Amino acid sequence: MIDIVVPADRWDSDDQAVITVWLVQDGATVAAGDLVAEIMCVKTQHEIRSPSNGVLSIVATVDSVVSKGDVMARIAA
Amino acid sequence: MSDIQKNERKLTIARGMAEAIAAEMRADSRVFVMGEDIAKLGGVYGNARGLLAEFGDQRVLDTPISETAFIGAGVGAASDGMRPIVELMFVDFFGVCMDAIYNLMAKNTYFSGGNVRVPMVLMTSTGGGYSDGGQHSQCLYGTFAHLPGMKVVCPSNAYDAKGLMTAAIRDDNPVVYMYHKSLQGMGWLGTEAGSVVEVPAAAYEVEIGKAAVVREGSDVTIVSLALGVHHALKAAVRLAEMGINAEVVDLRSLVPLDRETIFNSVRKTGRLLVIDEDYSSYGVTGEVIATVTERSINILKAAPRRVAYPDIPIPFARHMEQFALPNAEKVVRAVEEMMGACS
Amino acid sequence: MEPTIAQKLWMYETMLVSRFFEQSIERIYMEGKSPVFDMADGPIPGEMHISKGQEPCAVGVCAHLDSSDIVTAGHRLHHIAIAKGVDLKKMMAEIFGKESGLSGGRGGHMHIFDAAVNFSCSGIIAQGMGPAVGAALSRKMQCKPGVAVSFIGEGAANQGAFHEALNLAAVWKLPVIFVIEDNSWGISVSKSASTSVSRNDVRAASYGIPGHYVENNDPVEVFKVAGVAVARARAGEGPTLIEIQTTRLAGHFMGDTEDYWPTEERRRAKASDPIPRFHEQLLADGVLTATADEEIRYRAQALVDEAVVFARESNYSAPEAALEKVFV
Repeated sequence: MIDIVVPADRWDSDDQAVITVWLVQDGATVAAGDLVAEIMCVKTQHEIRSPSNGVLSIVATVDSVVSKGDVMARIAA
Repeated sequence: MSDIQKNERKLTIARGMAEAIAAEMRADSRVFVMGEDIAKLGGVYGNARGLLAEFGDQRVLDTPISETAFIGAGVGAASDGMRPIVELMFVDFFGVCMDAIYNLMAKNTYFSGGNVRVPMVLMTSTGGGYSDGGQHSQCLYGTFAHLPGMKVVCPSNAYDAKGLMTAAIRDDNPVVYMYHKSLQGMGWLGTEAGSVVEVPAAAYEVEIGKAAVVREGSDVTIVSLALGVHHALKAAVRLAEMGINAEVVDLRSLVPLDRETIFNSVRKTGRLLVIDEDYSSYGVTGEVIATVTERSINILKAAPRRVAYPDIPIPFARHMEQFALPNAEKVVRAVEEMMGACS
Repeated sequence: MEPTIAQKLWMYETMLVSRFFEQSIERIYMEGKSPVFDMADGPIPGEMHISKGQEPCAVGVCAHLDSSDIVTAGHRLHHIAIAKGVDLKKMMAEIFGKESGLSGGRGGHMHIFDAAVNFSCSGIIAQGMGPAVGAALSRKMQCKPGVAVSFIGEGAANQGAFHEALNLAAVWKLPVIFVIEDNSWGISVSKSASTSVSRNDVRAASYGIPGHYVENNDPVEVFKVAGVAVARARAGEGPTLIEIQTTRLAGHFMGDTEDYWPTEERRRAKASDPIPRFHEQLLADGVLTATADEEIRYRAQALVDEAVVFARESNYSAPEAALEKVFV
């Protein structure tokens, strides 16, 4: 099981972000590098890509407010 | 939506538009894009994302704030064999450049007896609901659909958005591509979730001039476009709970208007409601209703209704704007009244 | 750069074709409109803007262009179209509204399009400037040769489109030339009453491009200045603005009684007809003989007469043809 977490290196502050869109279905098969979601911190959107191949399960749904390090989804190999 | 192939990748409309543009730019060196904040920023609404990086600044151009000049230039370039995609950042800005649009882009083909082609796409953002005020929130569908010589398309979801953009770029006629800001997928605007759908990676076209029945029903036909389609679908869910089975038609194009699909649906259900975020009088709602009534009133079980923006400049204050906007609740109430009414 | 003898003779003959064309149009336009002038009557209905007197502007510039170069013009355009090589018969037929016209009758006098020589025009002041910029952009993008020329009047220099187009052409360094035909009058309002500068060539400095002014409506002077501008554009050095002091021998539109123009000024302006002046110059230079002149005039008149016959004898399309050619 590999977690997709809210990255720590996209913005400097401790501001929270919101999940604005999931670009795959819950339960979709993804490949490493696939664009899977967009999150927004303040007004800036950031792309989130899958770290590995596998089946993706969404943990944080659209409109969820998340902090750096929070789990957004899990990938089962 | 029966056309969509089962595909696990979803896109926002912004990404769908950018993907279509990129594919056509790869396939045809005559296609290029220009507009304000199109290149470096990728478009204020994300519809040119990634284009500068892939195609460079000779084919993806940031323009000065000179709509008359650069939209006029689009006409001139298209007349000379290029296939420009030009952005008018907000449809509300048409006031400063309308001559280039409706007198040149839309009429040069006709004035030249068909000898000069203007294969140009004019893409422009529409829609309000986020307190941007009366000069940055309009839809103006009726304004552009009313004037002859330009095709007009309005996608409600990313699948149609990509397919219509591809079709628009390949069309030898000028196409006004009107995208609703609340459907784009820009986080800072709040996006209608229903617009984010599966989109094939390969290129495909959605036929311009063809509406889609996006929900089948038997009691009432609800016709709409862009954001209105989502209001209609939500209303249909609530109506179903009340035992009313609504059919929803997504126009997808305003010019050409798919009058056959509209009429056939109303012939089946006997009731027509049109929901449109543009101003009520002299626009889409009246045109759709006339499409049915000028052909037959015998098929109608109730008088046609419309839920549209009132004929007022769009107010700024949130409560006032929300009061004025069409929404699913207003559709449900109107349909309830229609179901209770006699012919 | 002085015009060659062949170029001088081409300019002279083209000015004559243009003048005879306009004289024919004037005559035919008034058919059916007398004694009561109703704009909708007669074989040529609608508005008409005659270019008599402005011929030097057209020939001096177009002498440097070929059919692949692009020209856009405004509502007073016949002389420019003729100098650009637009099909004379089809243009006359279009002005008559006949099916054999350039656009089957859908465009008329103010919407002359000839794709074969890349000529188009629009009736909205200054709106041809954007498309000229776009055509120049197109050639640069395609790495194809060609320059674009936008002809406007001095009144157009006060339109927003003028300033936007000059700036855009300069910023993107495009091969486009903007030519202002200054006939001093925007219908009834004089240039001095409407324009904050007395010569528009100075406005070029605002956009960082060269500006030239040509006095006295002299085709050879226009030729020289245009030659520099066209060469600059072809060399990829960017746009130029040219203003030419010309004269409008007829009123703004056919039917204009010109009461706004002080009589003495009007008389002087009309006395400075550029064709007799050029004729005298060419005779004096030995470029033209009386015999050659007769032949040229005969030829020019014959061309125009042929176009008139063609137009008169052509049929109108079926009315339903109005519904066609909206989309291709």
